[in-house]
Amino acid sequence: MRFWKRNKAFFKLAVLSNLEYRLNYFIDAILQPMIAAGIEVTLWYSLFHTLGKTEIGGYAQNSYLAYALWTAFVTRISINWMYEFRMIEDIESGTINSLLVRPISFFESHLSQFLGYKIVTTLISLSIPLTVTWIFGLPFDYSKIPLALGLVTYYLFFLHLTSFCVATFAFHLNKIHSFTVAKNLTLWVLCGELFPLDLLPEPLKSIIINLPFSSGVYLPVGYLTGRVSHETLMQGFLSTTVGIFIFAVISIGLWKKGLSSYSGTGA
Amino acid sequence: MQTANANKSELVIETKGLSRVYKTYKKKEGILESIKGFWDRQYEEKVALAPTDLQIAGGQIVGLVGANGAGKTTLLKMLSGLIHPSSGTAQVLGYTPWERKHDYLRQMSILLGQKNQLWWDISPMDSYLLLADIYDIDKATAIKRIHHLAEILKAEHVLQTQLRRLSLGERMKMEIIGALLHEPKVLFLDEPTIGLDIVAQTSIRQFLAEYAKEKKPTIILTSHYMDDIAKLSDRLLLISKGKMVYDGTVKDFTKKSRTYQKISFSLSEPLDKDLHIASQNLTKGTQEISIQISNEELQIALTQITQISGVQNLKIEEADFEDSIHAFLEAQ
Amino acid sequence: MKYLRLFLSFARTSFIADMEYRVNFLSRILTDVIWYVAQIVTFETLFQFSDKIGGWTLPEMRVFLGLIFIVDGIYMVLFQANLDSMTEKIRKGDMDLLLTKPVSSQFMMSLQRTSTAMLGNLIIGTSWLIYSIISLENFEWIRLAWLIFLLPIAVITTYSLRMLVSTVSVIVTRADYLQFAWYQITRLGLRPDKMYAPFLRYIVLTIIPLAATASVPARALLDPPEVGLFIWIGFVSGFFLWLTTKFWNYALKHYTSASS
Repeated sequence: MRFWKRNKAFFKLAVLSNLEYRLNYFIDAILQPMIAAGIEVTLWYSLFHTLGKTEIGGYAQNSYLAYALWTAFVTRISINWMYEFRMIEDIESGTINSLLVRPISFFESHLSQFLGYKIVTTLISLSIPLTVTWIFGLPFDYSKIPLALGLVTYYLFFLHLTSFCVATFAFHLNKIHSFTVAKNLTLWVLCGELFPLDLLPEPLKSIIINLPFSSGVYLPVGYLTGRVSHETLMQGFLSTTVGIFIFAVISIGLWKKGLSSYSGTGA
Repeated sequence: MQTANANKSELVIETKGLSRVYKTYKKKEGILESIKGFWDRQYEEKVALAPTDLQIAGGQIVGLVGANGAGKTTLLKMLSGLIHPSSGTAQVLGYTPWERKHDYLRQMSILLGQKNQLWWDISPMDSYLLLADIYDIDKATAIKRIHHLAEILKAEHVLQTQLRRLSLGERMKMEIIGALLHEPKVLFLDEPTIGLDIVAQTSIRQFLAEYAKEKKPTIILTSHYMDDIAKLSDRLLLISKGKMVYDGTVKDFTKKSRTYQKISFSLSEPLDKDLHIASQNLTKGTQEISIQISNEELQIALTQITQISGVQNLKIEEADFEDSIHAFLEAQ
Repeated sequence: MKYLRLFLSFARTSFIADMEYRVNFLSRILTDVIWYVAQIVTFETLFQFSDKIGGWTLPEMRVFLGLIFIVDGIYMVLFQANLDSMTEKIRKGDMDLLLTKPVSSQFMMSLQRTSTAMLGNLIIGTSWLIYSIISLENFEWIRLAWLIFLLPIAVITTYSLRMLVSTVSVIVTRADYLQFAWYQITRLGLRPDKMYAPFLRYIVLTIIPLAATASVPARALLDPPEVGLFIWIGFVSGFFLWLTTKFWNYALKHYTSASS
């Protein structure tokens, strides 16, 4: 019970502090994904326009437009640059000291803040692609939403673990900001944001789809727009679980190592 | 006494009705209020600096004292051109500061106590060479000046060490050299000794005094530490809630403000009831006592104290400058 | 002339600072390589389904990508560290220190930090470009001369557009996310402009001249030269550069330094 109580405080903190900067909030949760969706949709539309084809890789234009639209919004949920950055900053600047001396774990507090932020963002931002899909009658299966969102949420735990691992490097090195960027870029490529992963040639296609990263965007969005089967989606749960397990082990090790070399000073 | 009577042609800094007002919004706590605050915000105006007339002649060292948020930094930022005033005018060395003409900027320098202007990752010397290029100082002259300043500050040994490796005191010394490299005619120092230990504070203070004697810049210095002000400035400006409440010499101030004596003593047994000494109240149960008594009440107080039994370690000291200022400000 | 000297001074100082962080050096190159790979993989994947995109074949598209990489590399070396940290500098009040120097504040803000670490990326990008050109049949090497004019234009355009967006944060203090929104829009420049419907093409050649960053220089190399277009793009980029100075000065007037 105490777990919930103390994490509730961080959850609330994240919600509050994010609502504080209203322009930022609007841009982050709404404007930005709208622009991203707009650009993506434009790019796919232009591609079809210049190729003069009606289908690519077996799917029609509308399918890609739907994919692009939803990707932009689901991506907002499944990235974590901000909280990772904060974790790193906490360690680098020594702010972590205030957490280390209290009965709450660094990991938990950031996780709760992260989830708190995401939930609010999700509720508001997903209303937009829903509306657009409905208005334009894009290929979409509304009944699949719960399962798809379930996978994304599950994926978030995995994501947080990877961020946590990256953050622990801050114990040893200065300025690891670029690690974050590199990691996020890799995720960006691997999770299906650039294009639906099923367009990749074999054997690359199977390998990448089976990694846990595809559960962040490709699997849920593909499932919703009809490119990904039910079995493949469930496989996503499996691979994410494996990922969580692996990174949990790694993070415990890295955290212990990090703390032991921690000198307690800030910049 | 240098106040409004200074010869106009010698004036380096002159302001008329200079003022600055900020708009902030009030925020109440809680999620509900945050959501409300999303589209309905209540703004209020805060007067950072009330219309101020100031005249400072060349070569003066002026101490600007006030509580946090009283308006000291705002004034300095306006005089250095960093912010525009809400109303009023100011002339420094004949320029309007916020026009930020390069010719003005070349002759002025501002040191903001807690901020670094030198690059964090490299040695101060490397930063200085960069500054020399910015201010059009040739390398040889720059190096000569650097070593001269570092010598007085007794900081020659850290010139080549990366800034991030230096202690706070050493960093401050390096920042000061950086600020003086181009021999500015006007120098604004905002809390230069804040957070430093006594040794560093003293050496910086001594340095500033020596430098001022040698180069005779016009200096406005703000500080929380009244010692800086008392020992360095010819003139004292007290600012409270955006308004100037005192403008005169340090000597006059100490004369005008009530001088206090600090009396401290201990009792062999705690007080068995509340006690009244002059205008101070001592509660029952205290054993260690330290009170401030004005000169007028001193006699009464001493008489009362000597009537208490078991008084030990009686000490009478002159209250320090800091207390005088705070008392003066409180009286405003 | 003074500004050139000053820039070299900044570059030298930046280099000394950069040398402190060797790991950073490598990881930044790695980061960009991943980005390059992503761009390449995207096109290679799409070309599975067609011979030509936007009028160019896959070998030609590689040249297009090479130009993107080079322009991006130059921008990263000169401007990225500065413009990216602008919002932070403003938030922390560090911009004050810039404003008190007797040098153009826009110059200082845009160029004080050179990312010598990024030279690695520039080398990689250039290598890719050379590789892609060599793989082309019938390439007229004289066409590279166009780059003398069009490459700086591409860099100036990239800088100007980015600077305009970043300057907004001087006025609306916490606008970090605006930069990410802008990043999305720049993606339009990552595709050949001929791919777009006429209306959109018009936009990327005028109001938001992203075509200048790679499409136009690529066209100079790959297609018969359209001198009119090149002159036009030169004019547009000059206009946007001028716009940055105007907007910057305007923004400074609004600048309230955060009280310390």
